[in-house]
Order: sequence, then structure tokens, then C-alpha cells
Amino acid sequence: MTHSFFGGVFPATRKESTRRKPLNLLSESPREIILPLSMSADGPSIPLVRPGDRVRLGQPVARWSETGGAAAHASVSGKVTAVEDRPHPWGGSSPAIVIRSDGQDTPWEGSPDPLTLREANLTLLIERVQQAGIVGMGGAAYPAWKKLDQAAGRVDTLIINAAECEPYVTADHRLLLERAKYVIQGGELLARCLGASHVVLVTEGDKLNAVESLERRLRRNKLVRLCTVRTRYPLGAEKQIVQTVTGREVPPGGSPLDVKCVVFNLATVFAMQDAFFQGRPLTHRVVTVTGGAVTRPRNLWVPIGTPWRTLLEACGGLREEAELLLTGGPMMGVRLASLDAPVIKSTNSLVCLTTFERKPESTGSVCIRCGKCVESCPMHLAPTFIRQALKSSDQTALVKLHPEDCNGCGCCSFICPAQIPLVEMVSQAKALLEKGEMAP
Amino acid sequence: MNTPAAPAHLSPQLRQNATTQAMMLDVMVALVPTLGMAVFLFGPRVLALCAISIAACVCFEWLYRRLTHQSSTISDLSACVTGMLLALSLPVSSPYWVPVLGGAFGIIVVKQFYGGLGKNFMNPALAGRMLAATLPILMTTWAQPLQWASMARPDAVSAATPLASLHDGTLPTQTLSQLFLGQQGGCMGEVSSAMLLLGFVYLLLRRVISARVPLAYLGTVALISLLFYPSGVNPLLWAAYQLLGGGLIMGAIFFATDPTTTPVTPRGQIMFGVGCGLLTMLLRYHGSYPEGVGWSILTMNCLVWLMDRMGMPRRFGIGRFTVTKNWVTEIKSSLAEIKFVKPERKLDFLGLKEGKMPGEAYLDTLRTQLKSLAPVALVFVVTCVVISGIHTITDLDTARAEARKQRELLSQVMPQAETSSETPYRANGALSILAGYSGDGELLGYCVEVQSQGFSGAITMVVGVDLDGKVTGVAVTSHTETNRVGTEAMTEEALSQYVGRSGTLRTSGDNSVDVVTGATATSKAITAGVNRALAIVANLDTEGEVEYVDSDV
Repeated sequence: MTHSFFGGVFPATRKESTRRKPLNLLSESPREIILPLSMSADGPSIPLVRPGDRVRLGQPVARWSETGGAAAHASVSGKVTAVEDRPHPWGGSSPAIVIRSDGQDTPWEGSPDPLTLREANLTLLIERVQQAGIVGMGGAAYPAWKKLDQAAGRVDTLIINAAECEPYVTADHRLLLERAKYVIQGGELLARCLGASHVVLVTEGDKLNAVESLERRLRRNKLVRLCTVRTRYPLGAEKQIVQTVTGREVPPGGSPLDVKCVVFNLATVFAMQDAFFQGRPLTHRVVTVTGGAVTRPRNLWVPIGTPWRTLLEACGGLREEAELLLTGGPMMGVRLASLDAPVIKSTNSLVCLTTFERKPESTGSVCIRCGKCVESCPMHLAPTFIRQALKSSDQTALVKLHPEDCNGCGCCSFICPAQIPLVEMVSQAKALLEKGEMAP
Repeated sequence: MNTPAAPAHLSPQLRQNATTQAMMLDVMVALVPTLGMAVFLFGPRVLALCAISIAACVCFEWLYRRLTHQSSTISDLSACVTGMLLALSLPVSSPYWVPVLGGAFGIIVVKQFYGGLGKNFMNPALAGRMLAATLPILMTTWAQPLQWASMARPDAVSAATPLASLHDGTLPTQTLSQLFLGQQGGCMGEVSSAMLLLGFVYLLLRRVISARVPLAYLGTVALISLLFYPSGVNPLLWAAYQLLGGGLIMGAIFFATDPTTTPVTPRGQIMFGVGCGLLTMLLRYHGSYPEGVGWSILTMNCLVWLMDRMGMPRRFGIGRFTVTKNWVTEIKSSLAEIKFVKPERKLDFLGLKEGKMPGEAYLDTLRTQLKSLAPVALVFVVTCVVISGIHTITDLDTARAEARKQRELLSQVMPQAETSSETPYRANGALSILAGYSGDGELLGYCVEVQSQGFSGAITMVVGVDLDGKVTGVAVTSHTETNRVGTEAMTEEALSQYVGRSGTLRTSGDNSVDVVTGATATSKAITAGVNRALAIVANLDTEGEVEYVDSDV
């Protein structure tokens, strides 16, 4: 039985440049890494080291506090040179631990011992995940242990999100193809700890080689099921993926837990099984450096904290002027203000778009009421009516249109032939309703 | 501490290629096969009309925007699309000023008066076309396909359109494949379904339109024609002709999918298509014109707001069950709020009020009631005055007397008949020929008004003749004979001797009537008149070319 979600758009995937490139390590480890203290969505972490301290690969350098944050680990061995403000990929600058690498990558001896599936239980898993400093690696950056804690015993379906619906990005594709065994182990581990009866690995049909290898591996697996769907954006959005797999709709304002599902990104699952079975903290992640402006687009296995500039150099630099630098894919991603910002736990890609690839921004003409935004909204909203109500500041009409349901996927802005920035308008409407007054 | 929050995701950094302009261009590209087929069928005049129409629409758009100091919008190509659609929905025989008129109405009144692209509530091209359709001759003559119309002055040939036969309840003479390819009379663009469908496929592949409206529209039409078809006709054939005939396919693909004037919501679009289909079939089956596509789309255009409201998508995460449950709880709670209070009965309008006499209070009530009745009374009075005025001004009595005289005459001439009516017959020597009918509408005979020369002038008389050629009665309506002398021949007694006679009457000898003494000339004149009336009825025709020679009496 298959389900599907309503709407969605079909952006050109443009994954050809990196989909066949295997995951590579950097030829030489970066000379300097920057570990921002805010890598988790719920607050900053507290540094454990001071300038001048020597650290080794995998050694914790920051810890979580009661208010939030996640542990951070040195991804190289070397010397802490400073704890100071550095550019952050989310914009602005924030305090970060700067480590100068000694090029040795000497591992830290204090890492916990590897465990086996037999020993698995929820408390142990949460402890390991907490120590490893794992956050949602698909972009949400929410601490994984909190999600595990909330989900324990409340879910019947665990969904592993390998649906990389963003154009250009192939990080999850390569990870799924090359580390399939570990991903499946991770799914089994999580299902056992959370008490989920099904594990569904959702991927898209355009990753055919990964799908084939997984189908072979999962032929006799009763627990883990592969669900391959047609590429459509935004399949990777939490509510849409739940709907696709189970047909259940997450109620407004709710989370997938309300319909007995929990969704983990592929990279997060991989990191969690690594932390549990190998005792390794989260120090490296997969990153795709791609886009028409990059000389040699690549999939890389990079230490967290590597500045983007170093990565770009490893890919041969820019061959033409990039119109726009993005982290996290061109649909949901954010503009990168500075190349000195580092790779953080939740960023999966650097996309350098040329002017040709990205049409220059237009001011937006009049709405012709084509209805494409309504037709493509996976959250069943009517963006054009929200825009009308916002323009006439009609609050009673706005309340009925539920702009608060918007998940910001941007399908409406993408599809609009009049180039009206509809997502912005919906988020303005959302803010207006929250405040209860008109924004200036 | 300066902590960056997780970034708010705004506008996607990629956009799809299609802009409004590209969509409009796609519609024009989709119309190219139709245009080509129209040129093939009707000749180069199609191109001339199309060019004039596009030029007119663009000009009007530019002029209006210029004169009202607004930004120029001709670059979005919507005026070009309007012009092209307008031209293709006209017959090839239309004069060159028709697209200019339609374009002016469509662009200025329908589109720009309401604020331009995206704000008009009716399809400009269709509105312009339907305005042109109100011109009488213009839209009822259809050029013969495959006979190229002349560029200057096309002949107003009226080729049989398949819809006209469908309107009469019979299958058209053209075969289905002829209809499909375009060998039928009709507007330039609507004849060839094959080319229109080609354009439809192109639009679907380019994702310019969704298939919802056209499929709902055509599906409804097909379903209704399968359900209701004239007896003795194969329903499948009937449905196929209904689908392929007339402007249905063009309307469904190009007019009912105009983004601005159709609902935004997917469910609303389906409702729109179904509504168009129902209205079209209603107009085709029960309208006085064979075609109803244009009017039905325009009518549904006006109902778009309603369908948008009804077709709003269900909120995500609220299942159908929950929707129903919420609705039920809402109804329940509002029902619970209703309190049933036993009404207190008080008959106080006659009751005593303080400081007033009983009658006074009642008068107050009456007065207020009268006040509220005043407007009604005023309207009533005005109506009465107007009606009585009309009565006095118009001479109803004369008209009534006329009618009464007619009836009396009829009863005199043809006592069996109850009503009479005009006939198409004409005859030399007959002033009028009326047909007499019995109460059940059965034809009984004819009343012929004839004139003959009497003693001192013309005698006008009405002679009733039944279908067997026998006289049923004679009445003299006017004469100038001398009183007492000539009129002796016009007494009831004298006239009644003609009743039941047939053939040629004479005043003496065979088949004769008695001549009234002292009024011989008058008698002879009446007999001659009766003879002529008998001859006229015996040789009834509509041309009036038969000469009646008065026989010797």
C-alpha cells in the first residue's frame, strides 16, 4: 500500500555532477578548525577547554548545559588557539573554539568502549548519543537524545529519512550507498531501543544504485523496510515523509510523535550507530560541495569545524564567479555570508550557484490567479489567499486560512509564475497572527 | 553573548523557469496548430483577422494603460493571447471591424476597468466574442470548410453546422472523422478538435494548465449526453457528436482554463468544470440557440468566488473524520445554547395603558401599523392610477368591438367555426382568406372576403366555404346600395338561400338562386361574389397568380 502527500514541486535535481563521486577524505587535514559553541538548535554549549590546551581527535571540548546545547569534540588533534567570535554559517558571528591542527590526528584514548546490539537499551543509547554530541543532521540541529527520550515507547514506526529532495545535494545518497550496512544496523538499534515495530527507510527513485544495493541487503530483513518514492520536493519534510510512509497526517501544531512516528535523518542514524557500536563521537560528516561554479564538485568526509574556504580549495576552487553560496541546498538552505564560516553538524552541502543557474531576482508581477501555489502546497494552504488577506490586513480571514501551518518549504514561491515571494508573505502572516497585530 | 538562532527559512533560492510571460507564450504556441488548420480550411483571411485582432487588443491595452498613467503591461503577452483567442472564436465571414469591436470591449471594459491582468472576473476574449455574437446575422452564417473565403468581402454562405442538427435532435450528416479533423461549419478555431487536442497535450506537458477543468467539463457533457439522448439515436454516437461539435473542445481547453477567471483551488476547479458542463448541456438542449459553451463559461466565471470558497483545501492534519466530528460538536454546542422558553401569552393590545383610554392605545397601534403599510399603499395607489390612465388613454373599447364584430361575422358566415386565423393563401380578387377552425382546432373551411360591383358601387362580402366546396354562409360587410331597394337582396332570408350551394350559381336556369325583385343588380352582384369565392377556395394557392374570371351569372 502506498500513500503520498498532496502538492509538491519538481525542481530540476541537477545531481549528476556529484552522484557518482565516492565519499573522499580531505587529502590533508585542515590547518585550523573552528567549532562554534552554538551547533544545536536549543542553545549554546559551554566550552571545556581554554586557549593553549592540547586536544586530541575525539576529545570533548564543550558540553551541554541544563538549558540546552550539545557536546562538541575536537575533530583534529592539535592546540586550542582561541575561544573567540568567528563567523557562523547561520549568519553573524558567534563564539567558537579555534583549534590549530598538528596534522597527526592522534586519537583520544578516553572514548567509550564499543557495544553490541545485545547490550542495547534506551538509557545506554541516550547516554551515548548525549556524549557523542549528536544533533539532527538534516538541518534541524535539534539534540538527538531529546528526541529519543520523547519518542521512547510512543512510536510504532521509525522513519529513516534518506529522501534527499533538495536539488544538487548528494551527501545522503553517497552515505546510503557506501555505508548501507551501518545504516541498517542503526535502524535496528533504534527500533530496539524505542520499541518501534517497523523501520522504514525512505529514499527516492533517482538514487537507483543505492536502492538496488539496499534491496539486496533487506531481502530477508523483517524489521527494516525500504520505501522508494518518486522524487518530489518536499518529500524530506517531516510531516510529508510521515504521510508518505504511513498515510497519517500530523495534526496542526503537533509533531510526528502524535501519530506514533519518529523521523531521523540518515546521517543522524549513522552517527548514532557509530557512537553506540564504535564509541566514536560525532566529529566528521558528509558534505557535498557542488554547483556550477565549483571546479571539481565532490562528496567529502570532512572534520566538523573545517572552514568552507578550505573545502572549496580542496575542490579546486571556483572556476567562475558564484552568484550565490548556499549551505543546505537551494530550496530550504540559507545563504552563506562568509566563506570563513565552518562546517557545522547540521550542514550537508555547499552549493555555489552561477548567475546562469539562478535566475536573477525579479520584483514580482501581479498575481494571475493561476492557482499553482494552492495546487503545490503540501500543507493544504492557499498562499494566494493568505497574501490577499495580508494585503488587506484582514485578520478574521487570516485566522481561517491557518498560515501557522506553513512549514516554509517554499513550493509556492518556487512555482509562482508571477515570482511573488509567497513564503515571505505567509511567514509575515504567521508573525502577524502570533503577535496579534500588524507588522510595520 | 551573541548567539545566532537557527535560521528562518525564507524564499527558495531557485525558481522555476515559467513566468507569466512564458505561460502566455505557451498558450499561443498551443494555438498554432489550430490556427494552421483554420488557414487550411478557410483560407488566408483567417490570418488577416487574427493579425487585426491581436493588433487591436495590444493597441487598446497599451492605450488604456497609457491614458490612465499606469505601467505598460503589453510585454506580459496576455493581450496577444486575448486577441488570438478572440479571432479564432469568430467565423471567417466576420467583417474586419468585428475583432476590433470585440477587442475593445474585452480589453477595456472587461479587463482594464477591473484593474488589468489577474483582476478581471470574466474572460476578456470570450466576453468580446459573445458581444459580437449578439450581432444578429454575423454569428449565424458559417463558411463552408475547404472553400477559401475571399479576403475582401466573404460570401455569407450558411454551411450546415453539426450543432444545428443536434439541436433538432438528429445526428449531423458529417462523419465523426470529418468533425474530428475540422470539416464542419463553425468558428475558425473551434472546428478542428484534433488540433485543439494537440494544443491541450502541449499545455499539459508544459504544466501551463491542469487537466482538471477540461476533463471535468468534457466528462460532464459526455455523461449528460449519454444519459439524455433523443429516441432512436445511438447514445454513444450522440455523445461523440456532442463532444466534437461546436465550440465545446475549444471552450474547455482554452477558455475554461484561463487562470484569472477560473477558481484557484483544485476542488473549485473541478466544480467549475462540472458547472460549465451542466450549463452547456442545459443551453444546448433547452436554449433557442444551438450552442451554449460561451454563455455557460461566462456564467461560471461570475461564480468563481463561490467555488473558491467551497473548494478550499482541507486543513493538513485534520482528517475527514475529525472535520465531521468538529462540525457535529459545533452544531451540538450551538443547539445547546438554544433555550426553549414557554412564551408568555399576553393579550394587551386592548389592555388599558396608563393615561390613555382603551381605544386610544389601540388607535396608536393601528397608527404605527398604518405607517408601516404606507409604502405598500403608496405603491398600490400609484399602480391603480397608472392602470386607469392606460385604460383611458388606450381605446380598449374599440379594439374589443372590433374583435366582437369579427366573431359575429364568423358566426354568420361559418356557424360551425369557433376561431379563425390568417392563412398564407393569396388570390386575385380576394381581399383576405381566413381559415375557420372548430373548437378542437379542426379545419372546417375558409372565409373569403370578396368585392363585386353592385348597382351603385362595390359590395364587400365575406363568403364562408367549407372543405366540400359548399357555401356555409354569406355576410355583407359594406355596400353603397340604395336603402330599401338594394338592401332587399341583403336580408337574412335572401342570403340564406346561398347556404349549402356549390358549383357555379346562376340567377336563372340550372342551379339558380332566386333574384329578389327590385334588386336584380344587387342580387346578381352577390351571386357573382359567391361564385368567385367558391372558385378561389377550389383553387387555393399561396402565390396569388391564378386569374378568376367572373362567370356569366
